[in-house]
Amino acid sequence: MTKTVPQMPADPADGLAAVLALRRLADRLEDGEVERALADGWTWEQVAEALGVSRQAVHKKHARRLADSGLPQRRR
Amino acid sequence: MFERFTKEARAVVHRAEDEARALGSPTIEAEHMLLALADARIGGAAAALLREQGLDPEGLHAALAHETELSLAAAGVAIGDFELPARAPAARRRPRFAASSRRALERSVRAASALGDKRLTARHVLVGILRADVGTVPRALAGAQVDRVALMTRAEQLTG
Repeated sequence: MTKTVPQMPADPADGLAAVLALRRLADRLEDGEVERALADGWTWEQVAEALGVSRQAVHKKHARRLADSGLPQRRR
Repeated sequence: MFERFTKEARAVVHRAEDEARALGSPTIEAEHMLLALADARIGGAAAALLREQGLDPEGLHAALAHETELSLAAAGVAIGDFELPARAPAARRRPRFAASSRRALERSVRAASALGDKRLTARHVLVGILRADVGTVPRALAGAQVDRVALMTRAEQLTG
């Protein structure tokens, strides 16, 4: 069995910049997907479990932003 | 830290917050301060210097987008693979200063001192941003074929 390792760039500057860009991309995706799930009727608990974090963590990170954007708030 | 900042330098910081917000960033990064400086109404002589290098707001946005694209590509990710939703605007939450912008401001203060200037102006903010030799801004400038060190030297020589 051959093991494949993700090929990261040889230069650490490129590798570290890739980490930063991926983190920012992941944050943007998370914002959109959390919003979509809640709009689809998911509970905060379900969203948190799907993301592998606590309900408190996901709520703290997103509740205020989504309230500001006018998304109807369901039960936590 | 802001007590020595002129009105113009404070305007750069305020505008950077708007730039961060407009891009949906929860944090104010050094690149948002550079975008603020690139606006002629905010950056003045610093904006003119950036414009000479093709770094008007539009050119700078393009350079930053290109940097993101290249950095993601290095990890085998194409940004076109994702249908990115428009982020819900963080209406009441103010973006906070990230490490990159804090470092740039600290370097601006040091640059003003080193140049013997009592007041910290927009050009010092530009010098402070350009002093970073790693990170998003230097990478975006390199990608746009801009000589960062030469630009920094010219920014130090600006008057006002």
